Amino acid sequence: MAQAQPSRENLFHDYDTGAFFDEMFSAPQTPRPHYARIFEEFAGMLPDQFAQYRQLADFAFLLQGVTFTVYSDGQGTERLFPFDLVPRILPRPEWDHIESGLAQRVLALNLFLRDVYGPQRILKDRKIPRSLLYSSRHFHRDMIGLEVPRGIYTHVAGIDLVRDSKTGDFLVLEDNVRTPSGVSYVLENRMVMTRTFPRAFQNQQVLPIHHYPAELCQILRSLAPRAGNPVVVVLTPGIYNSAYFEHSFLAQQMGVELVEGRDLVVDGDVVYMKTIRGLTRVDVIYRRLDDEYLDPLAFRPDSLLGVPGLIGAYRAGNVALANAIGNGIADDKAVYAYVPEFIRYYLGQDPILHNVETYICSNPPHLSYVLDHLPDLVVKAVGESGGYGMLIGPASSKEAIEEFRVSLKADPRNYIAQPVISLSRCPAYDTAGGLMAGRHVDLRPYCLFNGESVTIIPGGLTRVALKAGSLVVNSSQGGGSKDTWVLRGDV
Amino acid sequence: MMLSRIADSLFWIARYMERAEHTARLLDVNYHMLLEEAQQSYQVRWDAIITISAAQDLFFRIYNDANPRNVFEFLGFHEGNPNSVANCIHRVRENARTIRDRISREMWEDINSLYHRVKDFRPETELAAGPHRFCNEIKFASYQFHGVADDTLPHDEGWHFLQAGRALERAEATARIVDVEYHKLLESPSALAEPDNHQWMAVLKSVAAYEIYRREYYSRIDPQRVAELLVLHPRHPRSIRLNIAAVKSSLRAISGAQAGTYANEAERLTGKLHDVLIYDRIEEIFQRGLHSFLTELQKTCWAIGAEIARSYFYYAVAS
Repeated sequence: MAQAQPSRENLFHDYDTGAFFDEMFSAPQTPRPHYARIFEEFAGMLPDQFAQYRQLADFAFLLQGVTFTVYSDGQGTERLFPFDLVPRILPRPEWDHIESGLAQRVLALNLFLRDVYGPQRILKDRKIPRSLLYSSRHFHRDMIGLEVPRGIYTHVAGIDLVRDSKTGDFLVLEDNVRTPSGVSYVLENRMVMTRTFPRAFQNQQVLPIHHYPAELCQILRSLAPRAGNPVVVVLTPGIYNSAYFEHSFLAQQMGVELVEGRDLVVDGDVVYMKTIRGLTRVDVIYRRLDDEYLDPLAFRPDSLLGVPGLIGAYRAGNVALANAIGNGIADDKAVYAYVPEFIRYYLGQDPILHNVETYICSNPPHLSYVLDHLPDLVVKAVGESGGYGMLIGPASSKEAIEEFRVSLKADPRNYIAQPVISLSRCPAYDTAGGLMAGRHVDLRPYCLFNGESVTIIPGGLTRVALKAGSLVVNSSQGGGSKDTWVLRGDV
Repeated sequence: MMLSRIADSLFWIARYMERAEHTARLLDVNYHMLLEEAQQSYQVRWDAIITISAAQDLFFRIYNDANPRNVFEFLGFHEGNPNSVANCIHRVRENARTIRDRISREMWEDINSLYHRVKDFRPETELAAGPHRFCNEIKFASYQFHGVADDTLPHDEGWHFLQAGRALERAEATARIVDVEYHKLLESPSALAEPDNHQWMAVLKSVAAYEIYRREYYSRIDPQRVAELLVLHPRHPRSIRLNIAAVKSSLRAISGAQAGTYANEAERLTGKLHDVLIYDRIEEIFQRGLHSFLTELQKTCWAIGAEIARSYFYYAVAS
């Protein structure tokens, strides 16, 4: 075997931190203290050795069938979610700060949902315009006054964070309290990482994350409307859904049944599943189906994925759903702008984590500012997720900008705009160059709310835009992911 | 409590896996017989394989000529043939994906890696290498599949649905092979007299029964004995009788019915058929006509499959 050649063969040779906050380096070739061990490990590695680790990891994912489905090519192709071997590391003090900020935010979001689907104090106190809520297609008026089990709306929340290169601080980019996905990648990434690259974990004290399914299961069981051993199921749209792997993974890890709509039937406002021994009553449904598809009798009549009569059973209190119906209002990107206000209003606290500055286009002065500055802003449709329906001004052609301008003027309520955040970067392997290169990253931690407190598994999903210069980290658009570590101790 | 859909998938995973294996065996054995054979019987033989696979119409809509290349491509890979080996493996995996939370991790990894290997096979390359490599891979993949399932799945109802699916598929496939091969014989009676008929050797080999035949009968290959072995033998793993017995015992394990009773129509039909296979002699069957016997038997197998579905997978729900 060839001896390690210094410098030229080094994977970090010529690594350029650029004008960005780099997660690994405080200055060129100077790793931050919490990255010292990992830098040593990778810098001492020959490109060939590294390639072997990569192959091992890719093979492990392929074998596991850890794939997602892409629809843009019209056929629904199964792809591997690219995995980058360089871990994203957060030191403990920084994580503690993030954790308390997220817990605060999730509590406030849950209180907000209880309020808008209940007494609506916040509207009466005029902290958020009534018209903003009532104009959202994700606000389900018919859910007002419904008592949800244990007052929990946001059982699972995925809050997207980014680190602003200018300040080095984490900002909240968006809230996902409908059916956030990705946690299975967090768990699988860790498993593949420990299998293919065990050496990296030596002397590191990485906080464990594998308790997530057990915590989730406990919350789901606590929602059961009947005494006794509750029947919990995960409801999936089926194998053609992009997150199907995750649905089946969670069901398996929690030891509960994975069901599709066709496995369930409602009779006398009670939900049953069809088994080989006849019908068995279902108590709690962790549904990974959007509100609109849950019940063709209540929402979209053309939905074949749902269960006719499910909402009736839910209203009758005979079955619990997680997350609650109508949470989409909290994900609305215009409502997002008010979350800091919710924290002050409901908790009487200052927000620990800040929002990105946001222009609400239904607000006329904001709209005219946005229209004047389109090439410098990011414009997003309020009800979309997954990186769809979005304009990144500086990266877009004149034509694309003008096209967006037309849609914006036609339906201002449907859009918000934000300044372009210079996302932090983390080294990732660049296949074309055969070296490490700085790539933009974000962070999605997963928060579980049990009605009293918020549990967050240390770290979360780090998504990385593998294309040079790209800011879009979504898996559907060329993003990959990294194992995310929170280190015990002070460094 | 096992979901109906999961039982359904397990049943069909086993059926498709068996179908893939069976098709691979047919291809492999016949292709190799052909290497030693005179060119004249060539046309007949490959036609027969297509007939056994119950796909003549489809085949001749795609191809003009039943030559080895076309048959291999059609049965091994063709996307337009729902029962090609590649399509069967694809369906095994699709079914496994829908229930991967309920099968073992090892089973999933095994099926998934088989799917990726089959996807990488190219018909032209495999033909050039000779179909043996491909066919052998499928054969052993099927053995491995059942080994992994036996060793990692709890032997509960789900496992019994897997057993029932495999056995029912195998009983039907064996019936079809025997039927088609005899039918051919009737068309050319001289072949009956041919000592150690190579064609019958191929039949035996295609169901892994050649060595057993030799040990069991010590005789030249006599078509009636071959039929006896494949239809009525109590212990040969591919005989119809053994497989119907396996369906019967799995169905009974699922329903918990006592011996001498039945819990549903599928069990009644299976038990009745099993009795015929125990008590009939091959001479009686030949007297009444093998073809009509096997046709009837295939219909019964089909009805058993439909009744299993009606009792366990797609029962009517009042609401």
